[in-house]
Order: sequence, then structure tokens, then C-alpha cells
Amino acid sequence: MSWLRDFVDVREPAAELAQLLSMRGFEPGAIEGAPPGPLAPEGRHGARPRHDTAASDPSDDGVIDFEITANRPDCMNVLGIAREVSTAYGRPLAHPPAAARQTESSTAAPLAVTIEDPDLCPRYAAAVAEVTVGQSPAWLANRLLAAGVRPINTIVDVTNYVMIELGQPMHAFDLDKLEGRELRIRRARGGERLRTLDGEDRALTADMLVIADATRPQAIGGVMGGRESEVGHATRRIAFESAYFTPSSVRRTSKRLGLKTEASARFERGADIGAPVWALERACALMEAIGAGRVVGEVIDRYPAPRPPTRVRFRERVIERHLGQRVDRTEAARILRQLGFTLEDAADGWEVVVPSFRVDVTREIDLVEEVARHAGYDRLPATFPVLRAVPRPSDPRIDADRLVRRILTGAGFAEAVTFAFIESQAASAFAPAGEIVAIAHPLSEKFAVLRPSLLPGLIESVGYNRRREQRTVRLFEIGRRFRASAGETRTVGLAWSGAGSAEHWSAKPRDVDFFDLKGVVDRLCGSFRLKPSFVRFPQDAEGARYLVAGRSARIEAPDGVVLGVVGQLAPPVAETRDLPRGDDVFVAELDLDALAAATPRADVRVEPLPRFPSIARDISVLVDERLPAGRVRATILAVAPATLERVQEFDRYRGRGIPDDKTSLSLRLTFRATDRTLTDAEIEQAMAVIVFALEREHRAVRR
Amino acid sequence: MPHSVDPLRSAFADELQRVSSERELRALRDRYLGRKGGVVATLMKQIAAAPSGDRRLLGQLANEFKTDVERALAERQQALQDRLEPVEAVDITLPGRPIAQGRRHPLVILRDRLEDIFAELGYAVVEGPEIEDEYHNFEALNIAPDHPARDMQDTLYLNAPIDSRRGTAPPSERTRPQVDRAATLLRTHTSGMQIRYMEAHEPPIRIIAPGRVYRRDNLDLTHTPMFHQVEGLVVDESITMADLKGTLTHLLRELFGPDARALFRPTFFPYTEPSADVFVSCHACHGSGCPVCKRTGWLEILGCGMVHPAVFEAVGYDPERFGGFAFGIGIERLAMLKYGVDDIRMFYENDLRFLEQFPH
Ligand SMILES: [Zn+2]
Repeated sequence: MSWLRDFVDVREPAAELAQLLSMRGFEPGAIEGAPPGPLAPEGRHGARPRHDTAASDPSDDGVIDFEITANRPDCMNVLGIAREVSTAYGRPLAHPPAAARQTESSTAAPLAVTIEDPDLCPRYAAAVAEVTVGQSPAWLANRLLAAGVRPINTIVDVTNYVMIELGQPMHAFDLDKLEGRELRIRRARGGERLRTLDGEDRALTADMLVIADATRPQAIGGVMGGRESEVGHATRRIAFESAYFTPSSVRRTSKRLGLKTEASARFERGADIGAPVWALERACALMEAIGAGRVVGEVIDRYPAPRPPTRVRFRERVIERHLGQRVDRTEAARILRQLGFTLEDAADGWEVVVPSFRVDVTREIDLVEEVARHAGYDRLPATFPVLRAVPRPSDPRIDADRLVRRILTGAGFAEAVTFAFIESQAASAFAPAGEIVAIAHPLSEKFAVLRPSLLPGLIESVGYNRRREQRTVRLFEIGRRFRASAGETRTVGLAWSGAGSAEHWSAKPRDVDFFDLKGVVDRLCGSFRLKPSFVRFPQDAEGARYLVAGRSARIEAPDGVVLGVVGQLAPPVAETRDLPRGDDVFVAELDLDALAAATPRADVRVEPLPRFPSIARDISVLVDERLPAGRVRATILAVAPATLERVQEFDRYRGRGIPDDKTSLSLRLTFRATDRTLTDAEIEQAMAVIVFALEREHRAVRR
Repeated sequence: MPHSVDPLRSAFADELQRVSSERELRALRDRYLGRKGGVVATLMKQIAAAPSGDRRLLGQLANEFKTDVERALAERQQALQDRLEPVEAVDITLPGRPIAQGRRHPLVILRDRLEDIFAELGYAVVEGPEIEDEYHNFEALNIAPDHPARDMQDTLYLNAPIDSRRGTAPPSERTRPQVDRAATLLRTHTSGMQIRYMEAHEPPIRIIAPGRVYRRDNLDLTHTPMFHQVEGLVVDESITMADLKGTLTHLLRELFGPDARALFRPTFFPYTEPSADVFVSCHACHGSGCPVCKRTGWLEILGCGMVHPAVFEAVGYDPERFGGFAFGIGIERLAMLKYGVDDIRMFYENDLRFLEQFPH
């Protein structure tokens, strides 16, 4: 904090200062040497892009770390924070320590500097000094330590000090190690290498900017210097570098090399193109003040295409338009002036000249934000937007999903949420290889591909519960599955393992079977006003890959559209998902959009209630044991009179008294006419026709 | 003047004989033991008026009569009840037959709650694709090509682009062509729905867009590679930051109770300006500081801001004419705070012992 006081008068305790800046967009982290502040929230679950931490405000009497958002590189230093503090308190900001040097010289510096690539390096300043490298004085070393920087020697410390104070990263070369006493700012050439200060030998590529001497690279521009020209205790003459490097270039190089430094962090967010010479003079003055060296010759400044400052028109009325409250004109102007903006009065507001360090300010709204930050969000009123038009309808899928949830929770299923990515081995049974969508750089093998079905995740959750003493597990999930050809599909998945009936002392427990889950599917489709058909798969059909043949079905809408599948999970698939051996799991997956599309659009029309009594007849027939009940039913429906209201299978029996290849099927047929009471004669005639048809079609024998 | 209670006794015995239901028994009790006009009460009154010589004996007889009536009534009552017990009584202490009842997932319970709160304010609830293109996820949201969020380190990209829009394209009411490209990534936020909805609709707009989002984060106590967000967007001619404050303060009071306070702190998002992090006063300590809020008194709940003019420009809205606000809420974080869950992974393990703690 004493460093901060070089620039602005602060008597308030660290905690209060942290609170002040927090309410202006600088999230305080740890405060050392002071009690924790009242507002240091942490641990957001990455709802938005992460910010970067920058140390600032080091001192001998307390240190506050602030997280600096990506748009504010100008505050990754003490001066930038001081500027915010001075604006917040309305106190003057001291000019940075005078850059007046003790030695003036009109002779040229003994160093040639050439920018060969002004796109990647628009400005490069340098100065030469004769030095005696030693230990920095304690006050300087302590400030560096407080900022988290290890003191090394006077020259390196001066460059670091200036970076932390003013935000301008600097570098120092051992001049006598530079061949030809020159610096060429150019792209690396094919095959060039550099041993950087951290001792790594790095291969350079043509899109990387290097600072080279006459023959070879001596530093990677804006990222790190080279070992060979490192300043050490034997160094007699140095060249200070103070430059502006293009942010995207530094970012790319730093990423490519996997090398993040304090310098690259500042350059890649955008340093101050106006700062290099001024910061260099500050460094020279500091070096001379601590007796570490003496500048030789003039400061070199290569700036081939000086950039004009950004100018923004700022209309006073837009403040109220965006904030919903007026901010006093003089207060708005004071805030901007203290933040370093130059204001010229205009008819409807101001013509604002943006200082070169505010790389984030390019348009009017940026200035509104500056005023809002310092006027205080807490001063804004709380109002409600006026509703000017009839609200638009919600996505109908939202309501459909809620209906599915109501039905399935009512049927005893708990809702699961599983990850959308799974192991590729787990996915392989659920879709052909060409349909599986892989992730380019997965976090791990467990998250390698997008799920082609909701079932693998659900089955894993069933296993998780089974291994934790849960006998009966009923789960469902509503979510998306992903396939290369179909893209993204919204489906509901179901899994049921364990008991089929409620466990109760009054009855023997029964294991879940196909008909339990078929009943749930029927109920679900019924709530969408659909009566689905259950159709046997062709051998090569998709569901056949993971369901037990003969205990699985494709679910079809009345018009033949496939809604999904239902059946018993094939034991080999179950085992690969870590299910206990011998656990039968029944699963189903339905396409929610297909379900909704097949739903009748028309309103329900009530049918009149029956006015005449019904007559029921039971019939038991012996049929081939492989004959599906559905075909028996179809035969009956085909020949029965219109008065047949309902066919209900009520028993299916094999065993004593039944030949081995036969089964006894019992059905209850209910007849009713809408206009009269049916006579026994009518029913007997209908039954005779039905029995005859069953004998003819299925060689059925009436019992 | 009575000298004996015997006639009363025999009358009572006769009447008791004829009682065949509990209702009749109650009537009989009232007639004999009723405080006002009951046979016993009347008798006592008469005794009180009798010559003092007879009073003691008569009082004794009357009291005996009263006790006998009471006992007889009680016996009769029991007999009537016993007669009601059927021969095959059930053991009513055995457990009832359970009705299987599933549960909504806690994240869904909260999502539904958020949908309901905003539906009441006239917001439409919309959904969008989870696999997205870079245009909708980044570019149109003013997120520069070299922004760190677009890095392979943070975003999950697909191995090969796929067409995500099959059947999910929203109906458009605008003639302006919608930008449609093959999906190359898993959306990192629901903010892309701002773009998709504005491409297809004219202002005024009020929507929320709930859904799953993905980040390249490893699983730990507070991070997962997949989580849930609810995005909000309001666009109209005179939307202000004060409207944003009013709306979100209402939301926090709906979620955390009428005493909840909201704090708006400046921050940075590329697609809103000005932007704010929103905090709610800690519901555990009411702002005085506790372990839940890490002694700050505040809990960070969501991010929000005024729609950046560059976003309006991307969808062809005139930023001079329209203003808007947007917000994004992380449902997991909200659920952890509201339900006291300290390990985010519990939401994805689907342990029935966890899920069944949520009552509906
Ligand atoms: Zn608290």
C-alpha cells in the first residue's frame, strides 16, 4: 500500500480500500497483513469466462491482490489501481515519479535498432547504460517481494519494478553479448532456436516475433529473453528494451510455446502503446537513483506509424437511457477526467479523447460503463420493464417435457441427470461406429464421445445404485442424444431393475419383466393421446444391438413412425456397464419430438356414455405356443361385428393338461350396442363366427 | 317427594335394554346424565329441596344410582363396540401397500421454479441446441477470435462438424436470413440463445432459455464438464439497467425470501456492457458472515448486464433504438446454496438416497 501512496493519498485501511475497488469492478482476493475484507466472494462456478489475477499494491504495510478482468490490462499495475482509487475518492493522482535523468547526453547510443516487422511490433524503444550489477536496496527488493516477484539483481529488478508500477514490461540485454551491437525486431526464421531464461531450448517458427542481434534471436518478443544475453553480475553494459507488441501475436506465441510470463500476460491483453519511452525513462532514472548504472547516449524510439488517439462522441442523454437514472453532468465529466480521459464540450455532451492505456474503450457504451462504475451501481433505482405487447408463447416442448415428468414420477421413476459424454466403448453398442460423434480433445477417456443414446448413462446409474444396496431402481432422464447423421435428438430414457411390484408383506415379490416397462410406455404414449404398436425388430435394427432378441420391441405410432424401443438390456452390454451379474434391466428410449409430432392436434371430443348394458363372453383356446397374442386379437377384430367393444387377454397358461407346443389363451370379449340391448342370440352368433375364424386361421382348439 | 330411586332404576334398565346403537346410547346418556334437565340432575335438585332429615339418605341413594348408570352405560358402550368388530379383523399396525412415487431431479425442480417465476412476468421459455457453431456461441456475442474462452483448453470441440439444426430450428418471424452453420462445439453457455432468438424475432423480447452447457473442466467439488444455466434476455425500446436491477432483485426475493437483499458489482463480459456480478445476502447468516458465505455475508448468484451494442448489430437490431438486458444463472450453484449440497458431483451420481430427499 505504500507503493500505492506514491501516487494517491490513501489513509483508509486495506479492507476498506478493497471494498471500494470491489464495487468498481476489481474483485479483491487475499489481503495480507490486514483482516479480511467485508466483500471477498470467491468460488464462482464458471458461469462466465474466467478472469486473470494480477498482483498489485505491494507494500510493507499490507498487500491486496485484485482479480483484473480481461478488459482492463491498464490496471495490472500500481498506477492503474491508483488511478481508480483517486477517481473513487476524488483525490488527485500524483504524476508518476519524474523521469528526469541525471545525465543528459546528445550523443547517439551505441546500439542500432531496426523494426523489420511493424505489424507485430509497432513500437520499440531502447536505451544503453553502463552498469555495475549488484543487489537492489532493501526497499526496492521488499516491494518486489510483496508483489510476488523474486529480486535477482539491480538491472533485472528495475525492469520488474517498472512493469509492476506502470504496467510496461521491459527487458535488459547484456549489450556485449549482442553481435553487431544491434537489435533487429523480426520474425523467426525456419530452424532458429533460442535457449530462454528458464533454460529451455525452444524451436521457433516463422509466425513468432524475435528480438535478434545481427545473426540470431536473443529474445522472444513480449514473452521471454534469451539465456545468452542475460544480465548477470559480470555484465558491464546493457540495452534496455521497452516496446509495444501486438497482442494477438504475443498470445499466439505464448500459447504455442506453452510459456506464460508476467510480460506476455500484459502484452496479450494490450499494453499501452504510449508508454514505452516514458517507462524507459522511469527505468533509467530508477537505475541511476539506486546507483546501478548510468545511461549512455540518447533514448532510441522506433515508432514508424504513430497511432492517433481514439476519439469517441459521448452524448449526455445516453447515460440516462442506459442506466435509467440521470448522472449529474459535472460528476460524469469529473469521473472521466480523473480516469485519464480528455473531454471537449460538445452540444449534446462531449468529444472524448481516450488515453492510450485504455485499450478497452472504443465506443460510447464504454464511457457509459465508466460513469456507471464510479457513480455506483448501488445508486441505481430498481424498476420493472414495461410490458408493451402480448407475451410470446413458450416453446411447446417445455410443457411436453413437464408432462413426461409427471407421468414417469407418478409411475415411480426418479429423474436422473447424466453426462452427455461417455466412453467410446460404452457408446459402441448403442449406435454404428459411423454415427458416433467424438470430442476433439476430451478431458479423459470417460468423456470421449457424445452419447448416441441416453441409455448407457442411465444403466451406469442403475449399477451405481445396485452396488449401494438398492434392490429396485427405476430411473428416467430427459435429454439430448447425438448422432452424426441425425444431429441432436431430444429423448427420454427409462431403466428399471429389481422388483416389478411393490414389495409388501401381503404378496410374494415379483421381478420386473418386459410387461412392466411396456405398461409404462403405454401410459406415457397414452398421455400424448397415442396408442402405440409394439413391433418385433428386424435382426439388423438398431435396438437389436443392445436388447435381448425376443424380449424387445420397437415402439411405433399409429402411422408407423418409430417412436423408440423397449426391452431387456442384453447381459453382455449390462456387464460392460458395471451392473452386478444376473441383474435384469429393462430399458426404453423414446424420441420426444416424434412423440409430440404424432400427438393429435384437435381438442378431445367427449363420446356419449353408453346407455345400454354390455355383455361379456370368455373364451379359452389352445394355440401354438409361438403364436403372438396380437395375431389372435387381430383375427378376432377382423371378423367380429361392430358391437365388439373390447378384447382383453386375462390368462395365458402352459403346463398340466396342455401339450408341450401349445399354450392356452383366455380372452374376455365385451359386446355392446349403442342403440339397444344385445340379445343372447346375437352374441352367440358373433362368438360362433369368432371361434370359426380362430380355428381356420390358427388351428385353435376351443377349451 | 321420592323416597326411593327404585322406579328410576327399573325405567333405566328397560331403556338400556332397548338400546341397539351408539347413537341411541348417547341419547340415553343425555337423558339421564345431562347437566340440565337430566333425570339424575333433576333428582339432585329435588333432594336439595327435601326436609333436612331425609336429605342425607336420599343423597346417598341418588349418588349410588348415578354411579350405577354411569357404569352400565360404559359397559353397554363397550359391548356395542365389540359387536362392531368383524370376525376377520386386520392388523392395522402392519405397513400399508406402498405407492411408488418418483422424484424430479433437484436441478429440474429449480429449473422449473425459475421458469415459473419468469413465466409470471411474461417471459417465454425457449430451448436451443446443445451443439453449437462458433458464430452463435462466440462471434455474434462479441467474443473475439483470440479470446481465451475460445481456447481448446476451455471449450469442447467436436471431432467433425455436424448439422445440429435438424428439427430444432425455431420458427422465424423475420425476413432477415438466419446464420446457420454446422455445429463444431458443445455450447459453453446458453447465451447463444440470445442470438438465435433475436435472429428469428423482432423486439420486444422477453425470454429465458434454460439448458445444459459444457466446459472443459475436470470433475471436482465445484466443477463439472457439464452443468445447467438459465439465460434471460429482455429487449425493447427503453430497457435500462434499473429495469435489470428491479427484475433480478425480484428473482432473488422469490428464491431466497422477501428479506433477501441484492448487490450488483461491476464486472466484465464481452456481450454485455455495463456488466455486473449479482450477489444475494447470505440466507444462512442474513449477511453477518458465516462459513456458507465465507464470512462475506454475500453469495454470488449470477452474471448480468446490458446487451452490448455489438450484439444488437450482429442480429441487425438498431442499438440506437433498442436497449436490453441479459443474465445467466448457474443452476448447480443455486442448488448447492439452497439445498446445502457441498459436492457438485452428487447431482450426477443419481444416488436414489440423494434424489429421494427431494419431496416432489
Ligand atoms: Zn453467511
